[in-house]
Amino acid sequence: MTSPGDGTPVKPPPSFSPGPARATSKSRYPDGQEVTHSIDAELAEARSPSSPTPLSATTAELPIRSASPHARSVRSSTPQLARSSLGSPFDGRFDGSEDIRSLIIRAFSPTVTVHASEDTDELVRNKGFRGGFCELIRPFGETVPGKVIIRDSVGSSRAWEDYGVRFVDLKGFGRSPPGRDSARDSPLAQIEEVLEKQLNSAEGPIGSSVPSKDVLGFPATTPLCKLFLRQLLSSTSAAPHETFGHPVASVITISSRNPAPLETLRQLYAESNTGDKRLPEWVNQEYLRYYVLIHDEERDDITESTKLYDQMKRHFGLHCHLLRLRSSQCVVTDDDSVQVPQCEWLSPQRTVIRETLVDLGTDDTPYLFDSDATAIRSFIRELIVQSVIPFMENRVAVWNDQVASRRRGISGRFMSMSRRWAGFGSGSRSGIGGSSGSGSGNYDSDQHFYSPDSPEAILRKMADFAVMLRDWKLSASTYEMIRSDFGNDKAWKYHAAAHEMCAVSTLLNPMAMSAKIKLESVDQMFETACYSYLTRCSDPTHALRCLALAVELLKSRGGSATESAARWAMRVMDFGLVGSVGQILFMERVAACYASKTPAGGAKWGARRRKAGMWSLFAADQWLKLGKPNLASACVEEAERLYGEVLETDGIFPMPEMQTFVDNLRHAVKVEYLEARGFDARDEPATEDPLDTEETSEKLEKIDKRNHRRSLIGLPGQLDAGNLKMTATVRDSENSPNDDFERA
Amino acid sequence: MSYYFTILSPTDTPIFNIAFGTSKGGGDGIARFRFPDTAQYMNQFIIHSSLDIVEEAQWTNGGMYLKHIDTYPPAAAYISAFLTPSGARFLLLHQPPQLPSGSSSGLGSSSLLGSSASTTRASSSSVAANPTSPQTEEAVRQFMNEVYESYVKTSMSPFYKQGMEIKSPVFRTKVTGAGKKWL
Repeated sequence: MTSPGDGTPVKPPPSFSPGPARATSKSRYPDGQEVTHSIDAELAEARSPSSPTPLSATTAELPIRSASPHARSVRSSTPQLARSSLGSPFDGRFDGSEDIRSLIIRAFSPTVTVHASEDTDELVRNKGFRGGFCELIRPFGETVPGKVIIRDSVGSSRAWEDYGVRFVDLKGFGRSPPGRDSARDSPLAQIEEVLEKQLNSAEGPIGSSVPSKDVLGFPATTPLCKLFLRQLLSSTSAAPHETFGHPVASVITISSRNPAPLETLRQLYAESNTGDKRLPEWVNQEYLRYYVLIHDEERDDITESTKLYDQMKRHFGLHCHLLRLRSSQCVVTDDDSVQVPQCEWLSPQRTVIRETLVDLGTDDTPYLFDSDATAIRSFIRELIVQSVIPFMENRVAVWNDQVASRRRGISGRFMSMSRRWAGFGSGSRSGIGGSSGSGSGNYDSDQHFYSPDSPEAILRKMADFAVMLRDWKLSASTYEMIRSDFGNDKAWKYHAAAHEMCAVSTLLNPMAMSAKIKLESVDQMFETACYSYLTRCSDPTHALRCLALAVELLKSRGGSATESAARWAMRVMDFGLVGSVGQILFMERVAACYASKTPAGGAKWGARRRKAGMWSLFAADQWLKLGKPNLASACVEEAERLYGEVLETDGIFPMPEMQTFVDNLRHAVKVEYLEARGFDARDEPATEDPLDTEETSEKLEKIDKRNHRRSLIGLPGQLDAGNLKMTATVRDSENSPNDDFERA
Repeated sequence: MSYYFTILSPTDTPIFNIAFGTSKGGGDGIARFRFPDTAQYMNQFIIHSSLDIVEEAQWTNGGMYLKHIDTYPPAAAYISAFLTPSGARFLLLHQPPQLPSGSSSGLGSSSLLGSSASTTRASSSSVAANPTSPQTEEAVRQFMNEVYESYVKTSMSPFYKQGMEIKSPVFRTKVTGAGKKWL
């Protein structure tokens, strides 16, 4: 039990199975001191004598639904909740912090716009995809099958299993949806809405859940928390100050039905370049164009299409693909139908819409022919491996040579400096030189962005490319280089974003640092980013994203970083950036951060079990206030596990008021949990003696606090608690006429 | 500033508790914690959780007085610790008074944590306002030393066995006196 909380890459066993949980709680309380046993154990015990229902029936209705083979969609497979099996099909590939890290890494994926001709969208709509070609390929783009090999700036290559891109429709790009200003439509409110929906939809008649635990009994990250993080990371739309949402490439598509294919392609290109579908002016127009011809297998002749495809290759070069699809709609009953995977990265707004559709029962996840799915997968693999990645590598290398090295002061080494960067040396240097004021002049302070060909914007883009290529060493050093420039220009959003990404890259870089000094500088960067976002730009969404990244990445670093992770999580609660569900999630994160801090090298000290347990209990208290006894029960169990290692006697706290609080909490959780399951909680525990005593004391407590504490101290379970010395103390305190505990 | 002082036995059982407020700067010596009346258990939770840090700090710090070792940011509670040779530990929770402007917490901030705005401390160097200043550290040290002296004398009483709760009214008066004098 010494490895960090979610470190083991082992798939957790199906949670809430009564077997192991009950076994442990039994072994912990050998002789009838059933003060702290888990709810389900209690339930089962209470039921078996009182009702004729056999135990197997009780177990059968426990929601281990995730094992259902017919996992149609995420929602339908987990109507119960949420925690044990919510999430994407990608969950469970890793466990714990590796999982979170992968999630964060994948959040910074390249964006590829899709620009399809009318006839293409028509063809795809016939297949049952109302959103057109983009909707068809979008889910497939989120995971590229097989390994993707990326070369970093120093020439070493590394293979990644989990690479992906985001496809966005060019039509909707960069145009913020209307009514964004109202508080209800802000991304944060939407995230909260998604969370609440998820919670409520999970609230079945037997709504129950327990966070999945891995083999060592450490809690894995709860799926609810993962959902929150994923929503948060996909909530930011394309903005000038960071280029993750800007297109890296554009897929221009026609179908074989098109009467004038080459002209259409030209026209589409022109539209995206200069026409009314032109991207906002803060987007660098220099991105890759990729041409796709969709061949309709059922209506058109392949020889014609091949001929056309060869023609395309001659005109547009290598960045072409022939995608062969069937044009008829696939239904479930077809032989080779496969379900289209769920989109993992939907913005909170889209998620809300989708959830609503699901609630109305109109969410018909479309199906595809197996051959189509294979064709799309291989198309995407080719697009990414042969075009997008080499293009990005190339851009990074060029910019690194031409802009970054000049900026680093090794000027003169590269002769071919393009004319438009000539203003660079004088421009931003003067900002640093102390001429203050409005800085370099590259920053348009009226419209709040740098023009995309200014060196600052290019360096930022290069650093973002490096992040997307997972070359965090280069990105960290580049952000480091430019972050002060933005401050000098008073480009506060850029300033904040550069600080944020600098810290994130530093933490993601597996090689760098373990030294404490480095951690302090990372903390400092998060501090600056958060201040700039919140105070200077009043942008709570980005601020929350920044802090959430700080929490998760610092936590995954382990060691003393976990404490600063916990501190950041408390800051989030302090700032009031999250709603009531979010607050509790962050409480759980604080607990998880502390729980993952393990004793240093065999020593007994250095863990933070008590702190973790305390936060778990508070989270349980809050879940209860929200009316989620199942989640509260999970937190209480978690707290008991954490406290188990530090308390002299299990479940017995040395401090009387703590004991009272914990007892009340356990009782309330139990009552509400049973009520939620339709039991009458009042007469239920009369079967067992120790429980009865506890019950009585709980009732007494409501009448008279003083009286209650006496009765609590006098609990039979505590008197034979083994430690004689302690018992003596307790008994003494009971007799004491001026008991300080009550005055305190 | 409100204080909560606890002596913990080596088995983490509290053997002495007292809550008091500052008497400096016109204080009336009555504790006013930020938690609502129903949440007074918070003091004990915070003290208990800071034992994690005490266990770590006692190996890395040479002195008996460990200074300010832990903070509970949501309630702006600061913990100072003092070790005794018998294994008993003195823990002092101090909490600066709630600032009048301190309701910046947002929509869902729970009543459990009290409302916060903890980071904005008055720049005064008085003991009451700045829990991490050297003056406060020094005042707490004086307080701890004085209490330690009384504790040693109390524990030498023939009727006192180690680990028992301290019920002596003399000791209580002395602690109160030390609190008045230094804090």
